[in-house]
Amino acid sequence: MQEQFKVEFDSKLGIATIWMQMDGRANKINPAFGEGFQPAFETALKYEDLKGIIIASAHKDFCVGADIDYVYEARDPKQLATTIAVFHANLRRIETCGKPVVAALTGSALGGGYELALACHHRIAVDTPSVQIGLPEVNLGLIPGGGGTQRLPRLIGLQPALEVIAQGQVLRAKKALSKGLIDELANTQADVFEMATAWIQNRPKTKQPWDESTFLFPGGVQPDSAMGRQLFAGGAAMLVKKTKGAFRAPEAAVQAIYEGCHLDFDSALKIEARYFTTCVVSDQSKDMIRTFWFHKNAVERQADLPKISEARIETVGILGAGMMGAGLAFICARRGYKVILKDINQDALDCGLTHCRTQVDKRLRFLSTDEKAAVLAKISGTLAVEDLSECDLIIEAVFENIDLKHRVIRETEAVIKNDAIFASNTSALPIADLAKASARPDKFIGLHFFSPVEQMPLLEVIQANHTSEETLARALSFGRRIKKTSIVVNDGYGFYTTRLFSAYVMEAAQLVAQGYPPVLIERAASAAGMVVPPLKVFDEVTLSLAAHGFDMREKYDGKPLDEPGVRLVRALVNLERNGKSSGRGFYQYDGKKRTLWPGLADLAEAQVTESDPHILMKKCQDRLMLTQVLEAIRCLDEGILRSTADGEIGAIFGVGFAPNTGGPFAWCDRKGLPFVVSALDALTHEHGSRYQVPERLRQMADAGEQFFPRV
Amino acid sequence: MSGAYIFDAVRTPRGRGKKDGRLHTVKAVDLLGTALRGLQRRTELNTSILDDVTIGCVTQVGEQGACIGRTAVLEAGYDESVPAVTLNRFCGSGLEAVNGAAAKVASGFCDLVIAGGVESMSRVQMGSDGGAIWDPTMAFEYGTVPQGISADLLATLNAISRQDADKFAAGSQRKAAQAQARGAFTQSVEPVYDQNGLLLLDEDEHLRPETTEESLSQLRPAFEMMGTQFGLDALTQKRYPHVERINHIHTAGNSSGIVDGAAAVLIGNESAKANYGLRPRAKIRALASVGDEPVLMLSGPVPATQRVLRKAGMQIGDIDLFEVNEAFAAVPLFFAKELGVDLAKINVNGGAIALGHPLGATGAVLLGTVLDELEERDLTTGLVTLCIGGGMGIATIIERV
Repeated sequence: MQEQFKVEFDSKLGIATIWMQMDGRANKINPAFGEGFQPAFETALKYEDLKGIIIASAHKDFCVGADIDYVYEARDPKQLATTIAVFHANLRRIETCGKPVVAALTGSALGGGYELALACHHRIAVDTPSVQIGLPEVNLGLIPGGGGTQRLPRLIGLQPALEVIAQGQVLRAKKALSKGLIDELANTQADVFEMATAWIQNRPKTKQPWDESTFLFPGGVQPDSAMGRQLFAGGAAMLVKKTKGAFRAPEAAVQAIYEGCHLDFDSALKIEARYFTTCVVSDQSKDMIRTFWFHKNAVERQADLPKISEARIETVGILGAGMMGAGLAFICARRGYKVILKDINQDALDCGLTHCRTQVDKRLRFLSTDEKAAVLAKISGTLAVEDLSECDLIIEAVFENIDLKHRVIRETEAVIKNDAIFASNTSALPIADLAKASARPDKFIGLHFFSPVEQMPLLEVIQANHTSEETLARALSFGRRIKKTSIVVNDGYGFYTTRLFSAYVMEAAQLVAQGYPPVLIERAASAAGMVVPPLKVFDEVTLSLAAHGFDMREKYDGKPLDEPGVRLVRALVNLERNGKSSGRGFYQYDGKKRTLWPGLADLAEAQVTESDPHILMKKCQDRLMLTQVLEAIRCLDEGILRSTADGEIGAIFGVGFAPNTGGPFAWCDRKGLPFVVSALDALTHEHGSRYQVPERLRQMADAGEQFFPRV
Repeated sequence: MSGAYIFDAVRTPRGRGKKDGRLHTVKAVDLLGTALRGLQRRTELNTSILDDVTIGCVTQVGEQGACIGRTAVLEAGYDESVPAVTLNRFCGSGLEAVNGAAAKVASGFCDLVIAGGVESMSRVQMGSDGGAIWDPTMAFEYGTVPQGISADLLATLNAISRQDADKFAAGSQRKAAQAQARGAFTQSVEPVYDQNGLLLLDEDEHLRPETTEESLSQLRPAFEMMGTQFGLDALTQKRYPHVERINHIHTAGNSSGIVDGAAAVLIGNESAKANYGLRPRAKIRALASVGDEPVLMLSGPVPATQRVLRKAGMQIGDIDLFEVNEAFAAVPLFFAKELGVDLAKINVNGGAIALGHPLGATGAVLLGTVLDELEERDLTTGLVTLCIGGGMGIATIIERV
């Protein structure tokens, strides 16, 4: 077995280099790190005439943090406390060893890896876009546990450190330099070592600023001052404004920084260790790690999905230059595709092309003028369908009308290559129904993007019965290249995400119709962790479109949708309250100000008798979550969803399901299946079969099973 | 139980709590010393007979730190045998000092005690004493907010409008100006001099008699930006999810003034009265403190009043005059509405909106104010109450003898 940590000594320069080369593809902070790194470091220190030490990685990345497998399993605070204390002591040894130590960041340094770098006296990173620096722990429901919450504020100041840590920021090297997370930027990997050597030869100070008795926090704000207190008070408030108290980790990060910054460094580390332990053993971190680490990695690996070595997609044709079409044009061009954007209206087309230019300026600021121009040059606009002839992939993003879609499918297929894929971006219409107009249904697929497509990370790929494995493989390859996380689902009305989203907003409409105070519905959703409150997002997606969806649905099912929520939305549309775009919907809009429309109470079909807002809110919360979970389970039972992992990722990344819960299935597990079943039974009893418990769920609950193994 | 008498009450004038305020150059210990000296002179007190001095002071750091009460006792030339304690119940501190002193003498453990308070808000910045209230944990677990946000929340929950608040504030200014003009405060105010005997201030300085409802309506809400842009309003959502938006009605003009000042009250029992020939002006009938909801924070005067009435065996209608501290206009307005008290009986000579609120001293100041006015109008019973940070309330009922 290869040594995990190799020490090289250049006796001429007096510099020892510790090469981290842990088994596997990356260096990870785990017990093996603890056992291996320290002896290597002590070996380095023993060289005669040692001038300094460079810590470097033999892997692509410097070190990307803690071993998540280990963290996920950890539930014992006592054992964790011991492990953390050892890691802290090891890092303390680096910064107090008396010799200058440099972190050579030839690749990414994230989480525990960056904390290792923080314990060095100097950090030099190579300036390439792939190098990432930061402390993303809160995204997994954790906080930095290797001294990061204490060293970073002492290195760059309280305010910037609070931002980096509580927001879980990951920065490019340049940005990390400007914020002070690293000290120097190198052009090449070789330069990193040259600069490290030069720095050591300058005989730098080997004491960390925070170990000086005269230490003051940089940035001018000291903890025990009026400004310091206001900083934390404001910071805490801004955090709650954003998270609504649903996310524990960023709060713990603020608490650890606050308590620690009033103490000497070694005591401060003990404070961090306590909050870190609290987070590690918490249910929330388990649920978030499962989804954002294990599920996400699994989904992105696409292990069980068809692969193709050559996707044969170079030119993408996009039908419809609206927000979605234009946004797609931009993201395809920025990933190197040639794009032809087609519309039937010159004004719409111009508008779409302008959108592309705006996006290039806004999102690609880090590119040179020439590079930006090159991205834009990849996009051309046209009104003529013939111009699409060279396209390898067509994505249709026209209005949701099946006849219209059939027409564009026919006219486009008539001009494109035989081999070209036709993808529909419909958000609900079954792909098989659309493909009825296609002459080559094996190359017909659903690619459901989310708005704003520049930002939303998910791509819901719909493989209908007729869609070939090769078409799927080519589409997935396209998805990877435009940096989307793809889930593959089977065909059916509304697929997965639209059904989940509809369940969410329609339940909110239902609650309004039943007389629940709208403000409590919104607050209930936010407090549960939902990314956007339902009535707000309902207004944003436009109520008239939803009403159109009801009609479409009724046509499909051949029976009327007769529910209070449907009636309410139709009533709003009849009052010309179509949503945000029309300036009025559930809310009334006055410039940037948004207030719930008081008239909603008059449209309610019933009244609630309960007056305690907390009880009402709890009811709203349970119902909003239960209906989504129910829909997710139905999608699984009906075979729309191929896995629970897809369900979690699709819900969170596609429609903003509460990330703190880990997703609908994790929510179900955490609440307990017996609770979910009995709550749904009660709702069925009160409001009818909409809430009917799927038989499999009842059996699972009875058998004491859950969706994911307990940790 | 032998009861507790108020023999006398004095205070310094309240100076504007800014650099150009007339008391800004006076140390807090000298302010309190002025009140203590005045009380001694007026009552011709042999200070060696005092059992204790209890002083309210909120921001106990810097020159107000380290038990300022004891230093002030020495500064005032009191006998060295007189001890002192300095306490903090936020804005209720001055009245807490009075109530504590009353309890000591009523129990007989002490016979004669001075209660008082001091705050030089121009010299020692509010909040500079830090404290666990600043810990983000409080924000996360309770959703506590600064008082201005609580005041606006109180107004929102009780449909108190900006106009209501401005109308009340203009009234406070008008009543205070009239009272000052007729010399209502003169007899209890102890002027402040410099070390050379030159007068610095002999009447309250914070008043703006020219204030009208109209002029107040021009002021910008003081806590709106803090609440909306810095997220503080969002903290209240945990407790008050049904409040869609906080109506920010409070301004610098309808909130209490920041001032410098001190007060002292001589309190004793039957045996002090008998042994030292002191003449009581009033007796303390009952006292009470309560804890209340900490996010709303400022509703405490209502439950405190209910409790003190219960302890006194009285009804709200038995009270002739009220002093309800005008921390924010919504506080007395909420009090009047909630307890059904005629506003004409509340703060008849104006309140902290016009006269200022020297945090640690105000409770003791208000006690003297209501006593003076009961005598002026030849009425019997007065009630003093204050809202308190952290969600508390305090109240005292006095009765002329």
